[in-house]
Amino acid sequence: MNKVIKKNLGGWLIMLPSIVLFIFFVWLPLASNVSLSLFETVGYTKVKFIGLDNYKAVLNDPVFVKAFMNTLKYTFWSILIGFAFPIFLALLLSEIIHLKGLFRTLIYFPNIVPGLAVVIMWKYLFNPEPHGTLNAILEVFHISPQIWLNSQNLVIPLIVLTMTWKGAGATTLIYLATIQGIDNTYYEASRIEGATLWQRIRHITLPHLIPTIRMLFILQIITVFQVFYEPLVMTSGGPNNSSISLLQLIYKYAYMREDPNGISKAAAIGVIVAIMLFILTFVYLKLTKEKE
Amino acid sequence: MEHLKSKRDGLLIFSDYKKTPFKILYGLMVLIIMIAIIVTVFPPIWLFLSSFKSAAELDSPPFTLFPEKFKLSKVVELWNWLQFGRYYLNSLWLILGALFCSILFNGLLAYAISIVKPVGHKIVFTLVMISLMVPVILNMGPLLQNIRNVGMTGTYLPLWLVHGANPFYFILFKVYFDQLPKTLFEQAQLDGCTKFQMFRKIVVPLSRPIVMVVSIFTVNAAWSDFLLPYLVLSGESAKQPVMVMIYSFYDNLGRQQGLTLDRLLMIISISIIPTIIFFIIFQKQITSSVATTGIKE
Repeated sequence: MNKVIKKNLGGWLIMLPSIVLFIFFVWLPLASNVSLSLFETVGYTKVKFIGLDNYKAVLNDPVFVKAFMNTLKYTFWSILIGFAFPIFLALLLSEIIHLKGLFRTLIYFPNIVPGLAVVIMWKYLFNPEPHGTLNAILEVFHISPQIWLNSQNLVIPLIVLTMTWKGAGATTLIYLATIQGIDNTYYEASRIEGATLWQRIRHITLPHLIPTIRMLFILQIITVFQVFYEPLVMTSGGPNNSSISLLQLIYKYAYMREDPNGISKAAAIGVIVAIMLFILTFVYLKLTKEKE
Repeated sequence: MEHLKSKRDGLLIFSDYKKTPFKILYGLMVLIIMIAIIVTVFPPIWLFLSSFKSAAELDSPPFTLFPEKFKLSKVVELWNWLQFGRYYLNSLWLILGALFCSILFNGLLAYAISIVKPVGHKIVFTLVMISLMVPVILNMGPLLQNIRNVGMTGTYLPLWLVHGANPFYFILFKVYFDQLPKTLFEQAQLDGCTKFQMFRKIVVPLSRPIVMVVSIFTVNAAWSDFLLPYLVLSGESAKQPVMVMIYSFYDNLGRQQGLTLDRLLMIISISIIPTIIFFIIFQKQITSSVATTGIKE
């Protein structure tokens, strides 16, 4: 026993500070969430054990259902708007020789703008007044002015558009790196056999991209599932809760204190979201393992 | 067109570009990229130009892109009124502490799990991987409660330390350490090096590339984060970093004297400038670290 301790003490001591940090910032809060979700609470004080009642209350809460459906909508729109586009851009960037350094830099640029700056900037670009910037641009094409974020149907796609504006450049660079890693002899061989451009893309480029595409697809779902500060800042979840997300609902219950049982409800939603994220992460790790 | 005649790799090469349809296609591709670039560049330019407008100018038709006049004095006045420099110093201080914690704690943990491998390291590894799925905001309530209980509310300490428990940075370090040749460590062990000496003398000198990558992500995260700092530093306005200041300004827009939209747009424009400088200096490292790690932020 003494031998084991002596042999491992050094390693344990090296891990110790980091483990304490993980406990403090991740595992302990997660554990308190699980425990809080099973109690009736006043503030953070547990009053009475009520089993799964908080979960029942949450699942019957129309706002939760709305937030859940919205989060699915965010995911759907982000796949629709934001998924294929970076692959397409990466293909173009890999082929263009003129000014390629400058093009890549500028495509990537939005990614370095702080998220808060991005969402506030877009909020005012989506000015619903007729003299708002985007409406003024629409007017050039004789399209009538839109109310943008005030529209229940447009609000989620528009927030997704904002997120895509910020994120697409980085995704493009990841695909670009993969495309540039493709061995040129494949293309040479295909040319000798007289393959058309489409056949080259279809049978060489795309198959090489498949592992990256799979990985980024699930990673994007995980990321969008955690959408939070974008609707918080741009719309506060409105109009009429039509853009509220699951994490935002947690924040609302935990801080707005409209609901006396808000803390334990927030905890219950937290646990539900954690389980869903756990499943998604599990799939992600499986896929990345396959890639290696 | 000289470039196209010497293109020898990729989907299309010089022999393709002898044909007119492919020349047209190339022009079309450049055009699409140009449009994409206009979309990425226009919003920040709009922001910058709009911030020089007056509040009344922003609020009244017709739409104009350019302000009536550029008054640089507006920047100076606003800077002095808000004592904006103070927020920058706060942000800098936050970033430095975050860098220290992020490299030290994630690096040490990865070193222990990847190379030292004490008994139980697999359990720790699994637990860290599980925390990948837990965004900080998910458990924000209990976390703030913890921070309050240990008396760290209103201080930078939790905002620094939180970067030391980051599973993404940990994985980056671990993947890197896994690739280091094992013989180095075996030799050092034979020479009687302790685990700490091995870290200092072998791992640290070899780790410059990965430290660079993690540093870039950390600086970006520490500079951009606003919610945790906003909640931890609420009531301590003298300690707030730039992003928290912007968020508070935005939150109180129009409710207090002087908090107008044009000024908000201007402080955001000013806040983007250091980011651009940082980007220009570290452009190569930033783009290559994104491409190789597959992590965006």
